[in-house]
Amino acid sequence: MRPSRARLRLGATVLMGLLLVVAAAAPRHVNAQGGGTLVLGLDQEPPTLDPHASPSAVTYQIIASVTECLLYKAPDGKLSPWLAESWTTAKDGRSVTFKLRRDVKFHDGTPFNADAVKFNFDRIVDPKFKAGGARAQLAGYAGSKVLDEFTVQVSFETPYAPFLTYAAAGTLSLVSPKAVRETGDAVHTRPIGTGPFMIKDYVAKDHTTMVRNPAYNRKAPGSERSGPPPLEAVVWKFIPEAGTRVTTLESGETQGVYNVPAQSLPRLEKNSALRIEKAPWPGVPRIWLLNTTKPPMDDVRVRRAINYAIDKEAFLATVFKGTALKANAPLTAVMLDDASLRQAYPFDQAKSKSLLGEAGWQPGGDGIRAKGGQRLEIVLNAIEYGGGPDPTAQLIQSSLHEVGIDLKIKAQARPPWYEDNYRCATHGPVMFLRATDPDGVFSLFHSSLVGSNFNWSCVKNPKLDALLEQGRRESDPGKRRAIYLSIAQLALDEALTVPLVDELSVWAFRAGVQGVRYNFNAYPSLADATLRR
Amino acid sequence: MLTWIARRVLAVVPVLFGVTLAVFSMLFLVPGDPVKMMLAEFVTTPDQIAQMRAQLHLDEPILKQYGRFVTSAARGDLGTSIRSRRPVTTEIGENVWNTAQLAMAAMLVAVAIGIPLGLLAALARSTWLDVASMGTALLGVSMPSFWLGLLLIFVFSLHLGWFPATGGGSLLHLVLPSVTLGTIAAAIIARLTRSSMLEVLGQDYVRTARAKGLGGFAVVVRHALKNALIPIITIFGLQFGNLLAGAVIVETVFSRPGLGRLIVGGILSKDFPLVQGTVLFVATVYVLINVLVDVAYAYADPRIRFGSP
Repeated sequence: MRPSRARLRLGATVLMGLLLVVAAAAPRHVNAQGGGTLVLGLDQEPPTLDPHASPSAVTYQIIASVTECLLYKAPDGKLSPWLAESWTTAKDGRSVTFKLRRDVKFHDGTPFNADAVKFNFDRIVDPKFKAGGARAQLAGYAGSKVLDEFTVQVSFETPYAPFLTYAAAGTLSLVSPKAVRETGDAVHTRPIGTGPFMIKDYVAKDHTTMVRNPAYNRKAPGSERSGPPPLEAVVWKFIPEAGTRVTTLESGETQGVYNVPAQSLPRLEKNSALRIEKAPWPGVPRIWLLNTTKPPMDDVRVRRAINYAIDKEAFLATVFKGTALKANAPLTAVMLDDASLRQAYPFDQAKSKSLLGEAGWQPGGDGIRAKGGQRLEIVLNAIEYGGGPDPTAQLIQSSLHEVGIDLKIKAQARPPWYEDNYRCATHGPVMFLRATDPDGVFSLFHSSLVGSNFNWSCVKNPKLDALLEQGRRESDPGKRRAIYLSIAQLALDEALTVPLVDELSVWAFRAGVQGVRYNFNAYPSLADATLRR
Repeated sequence: MLTWIARRVLAVVPVLFGVTLAVFSMLFLVPGDPVKMMLAEFVTTPDQIAQMRAQLHLDEPILKQYGRFVTSAARGDLGTSIRSRRPVTTEIGENVWNTAQLAMAAMLVAVAIGIPLGLLAALARSTWLDVASMGTALLGVSMPSFWLGLLLIFVFSLHLGWFPATGGGSLLHLVLPSVTLGTIAAAIIARLTRSSMLEVLGQDYVRTARAKGLGGFAVVVRHALKNALIPIITIFGLQFGNLLAGAVIVETVFSRPGLGRLIVGGILSKDFPLVQGTVLFVATVYVLINVLVDVAYAYADPRIRFGSP
């Protein structure tokens, strides 16, 4: 058989195709390591970089040094000026007047002023705009009034105290009005802010690069130096697979990775070439919302018994391994900490058993308690992630079994999980919320939110409602703290939840990376970061 | 010949029809309300939910929805991604070349390893070399790609530092993913090459060639291998499907941009139009490649086209 011309041609075409592959695969971007470029590995790709459109924390992790806010909330929870030099809350609590800095320009040269603030906030509430988390933070927004070039008054329909905290959160950070008007959708991959870094490129599913803003002449809040940042550039790589992500840090392909898996943490902590940094997440901890309407959990003694029965130290030792702390209240300790909360429910099986006995649940034959022939069974609503049984649910199950409660785990896909929560159909789910204002618990406990997000304890308590509404109106920080302390104490006393663990945002860096700072949101600010090789 | 090709291409139409039906029903087979699910992370008003329902035409009768899906797909419109708010075709366009690169490089690896290995096993039949080659092939086909990928990263990226573990763009970035992906296909090709070679080597014309006094190399390569390769062409098309499926895992392990990551990301973020569009595209490509393989097969082996009625 002789090779025909046609067959040769076929072979040649295939060969050419392969050569084309080789040509196209030749190096495109030059060495990204040298000259002060920090390469960081993230666990996911952001859905968008537009601060006003994103529902996801990963967006703000990236742009924390790109876009800036009116105010700054330090890790200790104190508010300080940022793009606003000062602010005054009106007596009726319905508006806040900001005096703005006069020396600020967006990366595209657009001047920052009162008009820009108005444009940004109006954009978020525009019904044609698909806003993310920003929309809920401007709840009841009545409009912004430009009083003069550098003074703006932001008003709400009702007194709205959480606004000051949100004015310091990345969600309400400010982007160039000119860029939004002229480039439209490009904001998704290239928000134009005022910060020390500017987004340079975005390659989907691969990375985004931000470069030093040479015109930055201020001192970023929380920073120890003024002027442009030391780093020339920062590359954020999206590396979803945890094993791969950790390996890139060990090999030096990245100099920092976010979301270190708990099982790798002990190994990385032993590596002297690396350093672990942890920042506490603000908001609602990982928490089991106990459905207060479904028997036998409608009995507060049963709910309290569950709280005493859960061994939180075991969670930290086995599942979370240094990526979390013990939770005491429906708000994480960085949001609200008090001795009364810490002492509320120590791990005490004897107390748990006696409470169950009081409630009429007596030890049964199979180790499970019973009352009138009925076994003490409860159902935990859990999400099926496809990776086998959820270790958190299993730990709850074994803790409860020791006091004679049979916990069934209803593992299911996300949509029916939500449906069951809305319908108060199970004995509640384990969830968490990231929020920088204690008003975050409003969505957990206000009676108007049974059947929607996130009152999955299905609680309707007039006293609690009144306190939650009061917290929203009160602008004095001292009084606000007292209100939220009462809310937390009431929630613990009524045992509406089981606070499990306060999670930490865990980063691992090469030892040569210095000066990464974290704001209250636990997002890294890179204005001071340096890289020693 | 032309009628044969035309018939083969026409046979694709019902297949593609079935594909659209399967892809379309995806939305309805998932439990729960798709719109609520897509918007679960957002704070929404009933208005926004109604708006999304209208935007996805979920408020229309189901047959009409299907009709719209098929006709717009035929016009090259696969809808708009919910997450990125960009046309699905744009998303596919940005990723298709990365996956094509990976698939072709993996195929190259598969052929470069598989054919010599199979040849070796066939020629050294029933010796330790045969056992070793087929043992290697068995190992290759049994290794899950996520495990092999992490192993290669561990050895060649962490310990030897030869290749980067993540990202795309350069030829160096392509090495570990394509070896990972190509290994399974290599094992299958090796086994097929061996059996096909053994069959051909027993044929009369090979004995005739040997009797004419031709050297071993000429007999094996010019006479036997060429004929033995015919069934291997078919396996190319089928393996291409496996490569696309493997890309879903390999691209995630190596953080490479590509269609696999696009689909995984779409599933995780409940972006139905994106998943439907991408799956439809990949399925269509798979079907078309198999048509091309059939045609190439007929080209290489006249018995097929003359034998068909």
